[in-house]
Amino acid sequence: MTEYIRKKSTIVILQLLLASAVVGIWEYCSASNIVDPFFFSRPSAIMLRVGHWTATGFVWSHLLTTLLETILSFLIGSCLGAVLGFVLGTLPTAAALLDPYIRVGNALPRVVLAPIFLLWFGLGIWSKVALGVTVVFFIVFFNTFRGVREVDPLLIDNARMLGASSGQLARHVLIPSALTWIFSSLHISIGMAIVAVVVGEYLGASKGIGYLIAQAEGVFDTTGMFAGMAVLAFVVLLVGAAVGRLERRLLRWKPLQDSLAPNRFP
Amino acid sequence: MCDLPAVAARNISRAFGSVVAIENISFEVAARRFVSIVGPSGCGKSTLLNMIAGLTSPSEGQIEVFGEPLVGINRRAAYMFQRDALLPWKTVLGNIQFGLCLRGYSQKKSLEKAQAWLQRIGLKGFGNYYPYQLSGGMRKRVAIAQCWIVEPDLVLMDEPFSALDVHTRFRMEEEILNLASRSNTTVIFVTHDLEEAIALSDEVFVLSASPRTRLVGRYPIALPKPRNLIDIKSDREFQNLYQTIWRDLRKEVLKDGDRVHS
Repeated sequence: MTEYIRKKSTIVILQLLLASAVVGIWEYCSASNIVDPFFFSRPSAIMLRVGHWTATGFVWSHLLTTLLETILSFLIGSCLGAVLGFVLGTLPTAAALLDPYIRVGNALPRVVLAPIFLLWFGLGIWSKVALGVTVVFFIVFFNTFRGVREVDPLLIDNARMLGASSGQLARHVLIPSALTWIFSSLHISIGMAIVAVVVGEYLGASKGIGYLIAQAEGVFDTTGMFAGMAVLAFVVLLVGAAVGRLERRLLRWKPLQDSLAPNRFP
Repeated sequence: MCDLPAVAARNISRAFGSVVAIENISFEVAARRFVSIVGPSGCGKSTLLNMIAGLTSPSEGQIEVFGEPLVGINRRAAYMFQRDALLPWKTVLGNIQFGLCLRGYSQKKSLEKAQAWLQRIGLKGFGNYYPYQLSGGMRKRVAIAQCWIVEPDLVLMDEPFSALDVHTRFRMEEEILNLASRSNTTVIFVTHDLEEAIALSDEVFVLSASPRTRLVGRYPIALPKPRNLIDIKSDREFQNLYQTIWRDLRKEVLKDGDRVHS
């Protein structure tokens, strides 16, 4: 285990070194006018801006709005996707019937929906939530569908031999299998929800990180744009770590897939 | 009631498309007997077992279970599969309890029974492990408990130990022999290993090579019980039986080989 911790901390140190090298080069190039600071800003200025935003409390309400929209679109999209995925997974005829429409829906670039949602739901949070839902829905839908379809037939036979009714089969075999797929796609669906929500805010909003970036862009304030991105990056890292822990807890019956971890036999 | 055969196959056939896998097989398995089915690989042993389980139905003919015609899943049977069939998202205890939980036992009662089985299969202290954390032999033991905890009248086993190493396999065979002799359960055991079949069974059925598999022989095994699985293989009577059955089985295995190579 100590071996594992050592390897892991080495990686973290290297990651931090890499980040500081990139930031250092950027800072140096801007400071010595190798690149134009007007277009590229300076890491020190960006950090000062982020510091100012957090110290004055200016950024919190925007951050909160973005997070709220993300969570709402994730919850609504997941519920819709899981229910429809489960239903179509168990009804092959209905799945075949709807197949082309679902493909078309999924192929549609979501960005083009943003103006329509703006018209329908207004400038508030619901137009962004709607955009996020269209993204999360398909990810969760496809994963649930696969989870239900690709259950090992042996598990179904075994449960039936042990006396499972179709309801019990769903509860003990099909749903857990689908949940496995949904949980393993948590990272992607949350990440995509954030992306969709920020794009929505960027295209028209009165609040949120995407709105901040759009505002800064409107006045050629590159420092403000990069500061918005930095806040977003930080949030994505935090959310990613939280989701990782959650996933590990929910899928604790699965072998650990950390490439650095030794084979564990607890 | 006691005289009814546990399983009676009446002229059953099974075709997959235009291929006739099993043709006109009839037999009876008396209650509380341990019967092994041997035959060349791919001869339809598993298909036969799946029909007795009610997972597939015969194209023709009928199967009776304790005198009643079998429709749908065989409710009096438990099935031990060749591959692992434990639910990966349930712990060892959850898997052992599974059958009881499906039958609507109270949580307390089923846990109590599962704990007893956990001890019986020698996995005390492993109750909260997940299947991926166990070795192949341990998983088989959990499968045995999962299967026998529901106290089935009939246990169907499809080469359950073929993937295990020799020593683990030997211990599993002892476990099964022990369980079968202490309960009133009828066992139908599919294997390709003739030694295993003779050592465990009261009777050995030999199937012919595919396609159009038939039942070519039934051999009662009159070796005394309880049996010691180590010593029995050097027993004279055992070796005579082995020679006799192998003579018939060999013909089928060679036929199968000819078919594959021609």
